[in-house]
Amino acid sequence: MTAVLPWSGRADHHCFGCSPANPGGLRLEFTEDGDTLTAEFTLDKHFESYPGVVHGGITAVICDETMGNLIVLRQGVPALTTSMRNRYIGVVSVGRPYRCVARATFGGDLVPAEAEILDARGQLVATATATYKMQRSAL
Amino acid sequence: MTSEASTAATPVPETITGIVAAILGRDAAELTPDTDLRSVEGADSIKVLRIVAKLEQTYDIELEDDEIFGLRTIDEVVAVVGRALARDHG
Repeated sequence: MTAVLPWSGRADHHCFGCSPANPGGLRLEFTEDGDTLTAEFTLDKHFESYPGVVHGGITAVICDETMGNLIVLRQGVPALTTSMRNRYIGVVSVGRPYRCVARATFGGDLVPAEAEILDARGQLVATATATYKMQRSAL
Repeated sequence: MTSEASTAATPVPETITGIVAAILGRDAAELTPDTDLRSVEGADSIKVLRIVAKLEQTYDIELEDDEIFGLRTIDEVVAVVGRALARDHG
């Protein structure tokens, strides 16, 4: 099921990661499936590092977006990243499809989460672990 | 987070051998504690990083780059995971 974020449709929604109104952004869309949130993506040369290779910082953004939005959707409040660590296994290539799958463990205001980016064959190309602090008074 | 870390204070060599074997596409019975992983058919640096990522997920640990790029044997992998468990969960 396609996820609808709390700020979807707002005129001031220009998130680099997920706003459809940001022409320079990633325009990620998310799908909820059980305990996970998934973003499927194929990136063009706007996000390139070495020729044909997506910049590692962009893959980190995608992991952060997917983990953070999973928490937003589950808890109904924004969650700010307090730390994140990335493990790069292979390259994310320009023009090829990937998916980022995020999971989180809920229990307190600090939420640990993890994400992995997989290629079309299901091979792991990157992982991330992060901690988020929920902002209960932000919305 | 889906880790053994909450249930095991030390890494289980059989679990680690299973992870290594699965990612290298080998039967776990083929791998001994002192098997030189670089000599295993199909092993390459990408697969070593996949093993590292799976270990980090399984045990909820963070392995340092200077720990992982010199790994040669299952025994060494078990030792590195044990040190990381003590560091991250001790």
